[in-house]
Amino acid sequence: MTLFRQIAIMLSIFLLIILATVLTLNFQSANESVQDRLYEDAKNTASSLSLSLGTANGDISIMSTMINANFDSGNYRRISLLDVDENILYDRKLESDIVDVPEWFLKAINIQAPIASANVSAGWSQVGILNVQSDESYAYIQLYSILINLLASFSIIAFVGLVILNLILIAILKPLKEVQRQAEAVIRNEFIIQDNIPYTKEFKDVVLGMNNMVSKVKAMFDKGNEELKRQKELEYIDKATKLRNRKYLIDKLPEYLKIDATSKGGLNMMIALNGIIEANEQIGHRDVDKLFMNIADIFRAHASNFDNSIVSRMNGTEFSILLPDCSAMEGLALAEGISSAVSTSIKSFELDENIVYVAEGLYEYNFKENIGQVLSHTDNALAQAKFKDSKIHLEKAENAVEVMGKEAWRKIIHDAIEKNNFNFVSWTAVDAKMRKVAHNVLSLTLKVDKDTTYYYGQFMAPANQAGLSSSIYDNVLSMMFKTPDMTLKSSICSLRLPFDYLIQDNTYESMNELFNVYASKLPFKLIIEMPDKLVRQNSTLIKRYKALFEKHNIDMGLFEFIGESVDYQYLQDLRPVYIKGETSYFLSQSDQALSALRLITNTVGISLIATGVMTMETLNKLHEKDIYIIQGRATEMVELT
Amino acid sequence: MNNLKIFFFILLLLSNITYASAKPYVEKELLDKIGKKYKVYAKKRFFFLQQTLDSVKDASDLEKLKEVNTFFNEVRYKTDIKVYRKRDYWATPWEFLGKDMGDCEDYVISKYFALRYLGVDSKKLFFTYVKSSKFTAAHMVLTYFKTPRSEPLILDNYNRRIFPASKRKDLTPIYNFNGDSLYKASKKGTGKKVKKKKAHKKWDELKLNMKRKKI
Repeated sequence: MTLFRQIAIMLSIFLLIILATVLTLNFQSANESVQDRLYEDAKNTASSLSLSLGTANGDISIMSTMINANFDSGNYRRISLLDVDENILYDRKLESDIVDVPEWFLKAINIQAPIASANVSAGWSQVGILNVQSDESYAYIQLYSILINLLASFSIIAFVGLVILNLILIAILKPLKEVQRQAEAVIRNEFIIQDNIPYTKEFKDVVLGMNNMVSKVKAMFDKGNEELKRQKELEYIDKATKLRNRKYLIDKLPEYLKIDATSKGGLNMMIALNGIIEANEQIGHRDVDKLFMNIADIFRAHASNFDNSIVSRMNGTEFSILLPDCSAMEGLALAEGISSAVSTSIKSFELDENIVYVAEGLYEYNFKENIGQVLSHTDNALAQAKFKDSKIHLEKAENAVEVMGKEAWRKIIHDAIEKNNFNFVSWTAVDAKMRKVAHNVLSLTLKVDKDTTYYYGQFMAPANQAGLSSSIYDNVLSMMFKTPDMTLKSSICSLRLPFDYLIQDNTYESMNELFNVYASKLPFKLIIEMPDKLVRQNSTLIKRYKALFEKHNIDMGLFEFIGESVDYQYLQDLRPVYIKGETSYFLSQSDQALSALRLITNTVGISLIATGVMTMETLNKLHEKDIYIIQGRATEMVELT
Repeated sequence: MNNLKIFFFILLLLSNITYASAKPYVEKELLDKIGKKYKVYAKKRFFFLQQTLDSVKDASDLEKLKEVNTFFNEVRYKTDIKVYRKRDYWATPWEFLGKDMGDCEDYVISKYFALRYLGVDSKKLFFTYVKSSKFTAAHMVLTYFKTPRSEPLILDNYNRRIFPASKRKDLTPIYNFNGDSLYKASKKGTGKKVKKKKAHKKWDELKLNMKRKKI
């Protein structure tokens, strides 16, 4: 229960007790006042009637008539006349006893009308004593009416009082709300500095303390951010040409060489610049460096026509240009253009183009190949190019023999979408240090019949080619939320969503609709993994997804992280629960770069997870770099507690 | 042994009676205050009152009436407006004798409480509102009824002697009143336990002043 609620309840009870007490006292006072009034009325009657009776000179008949007249015209319960020996001379009592108030009120309130007495005399002689008692019925009615009025007015006062109390509490505890908001932000690893310092000393101290703490953590984050940026520059950028380096290409290639890659293939071009030693001798290092800068600009200019292309310097004289979705024809044209532009540049430095020239080897890769295959084939192409007059050689990939034709795949996948033949399979991401499961990683299988099941790696590539991958994800997301796998109840599960699916126009809206209805019923904690590429390329969209996930208590993870951003502020903004990177990425990072990354992730509570860990040897290497959460075959070798 | 018990019981009873009769009309503490406020003569007046009361403590009601009536009728008559700056004020016996002046109600009150001190039954004494034909003014006298049906004796401050009512042709009775008996009557009349109630406005005010020892 919040402090606000506790104080509100306490003060409300206090207020209600006070009001109830005041109401009771008021009613008691009214009760006494009404009873006093009864007596005063009786007393007045007794005095005036006794004076009148004195004129009757002791004649009982006249006196009884006078008493009757008074009794009938007023509200009396009893009027009696006693003689000097206290014998009743005349007595009148009220016979009916109907009071127009509820029965419970009559039982609860005991009114006894007091008796007023007066001496009655006839001349000097005493006649006796006159007793008058008023009728309490009138008092009951009056008191009941007073009670109802009191209850009504006190209810209004109580209501107004509680509203005012609530408003006062809100005003007084407003700084506490701010403190609470800041504390919650700290829990969510957000850095909020509260500018409005509360006036109340206790709150003021807390806010100043938290501001101080948040400032320090933020400073740590910024320091880590700066350090990581500096490390990345050293790590991935070639100092002389400002092009990317070989390491960057190696780290980046897995994103292009995977089943659900955006591009299904393209060209990789390796360019070697010959005659540099001679050039150095002829025009000197400084001008050669300028030449390199010119050439780098040429490469950049030519590659810029292709989305997601990577221009990198592989070593002192070799460059690589990765051109996704580039055809052989386009590649050859590009190579010729580069050759011509470089040749012009070489001439401008008054160098002999027979000695200083470029050779370009082009390799037509596809997404199924691995990094080694792509690079070695490109090297081969370059080697062959050097022996050609044109200095350009294109090597085409050997087409793998497809087990099944494209149309057959299209039909299977289409049927599977219609019949909802997809199933989830899961494996685990393991925290090797704590020896426990970090979360379950969900993947898909496609079941055609009881004997035939295709795995993600088998059906996703043809699905991509057939343009059906988005339909598959729509289908499986719907399946996950509408008919969740109850065996996963209370566990943590992750689902990876590809870039192409996420950037589709209708994906966000359909997810929103699905989540609005079903997210609250999901029996397990879901982490949706988003590609790091989406963060870099569409920060607005990822923020929308983040807001959507947060609204429905779904966590976000990042995958394919190689930390190539120019700023890591987004990690603070998005606060993913973890970052997944290839094992090779983590192992190739320098200690400085990793420690800078860890400073950032620790500051905002992000875990680092290495994927594709196959052996214990790799696992041990990761341990040396303080990476403990892993995914891959090596998880089976970790003994869980 | 039983005889011894009876002896001690009688001794105890006698000592109580002695104590009761020894209790002064005005207690010493109050008398000192009166002395301080109204000087030594006032204190002496109370001393003489005590002497007068003591002299008739074992006498008949009639003797008591005469002594008390004579003693208080020595006090000077003065209207309330002159003494208390009020149109009508019922003074306590201590104020009346302390100031040594007062109007008709004050004589009646002082006589009433002095007689009550002497053991005269309150049922026999009444404050009677009368009309005086001599002074053609509202007046009050103390009336004494030997029995409820007997002719009352009139203790008046105008006519200083006590006469039976039939001899006081100058007075026309209007209303008899006895605060103590009225209070008892109202308690008896309900048959139920009722809270203490006021019996008469002026009477109640007087009783309150007496309780507060107003001097």
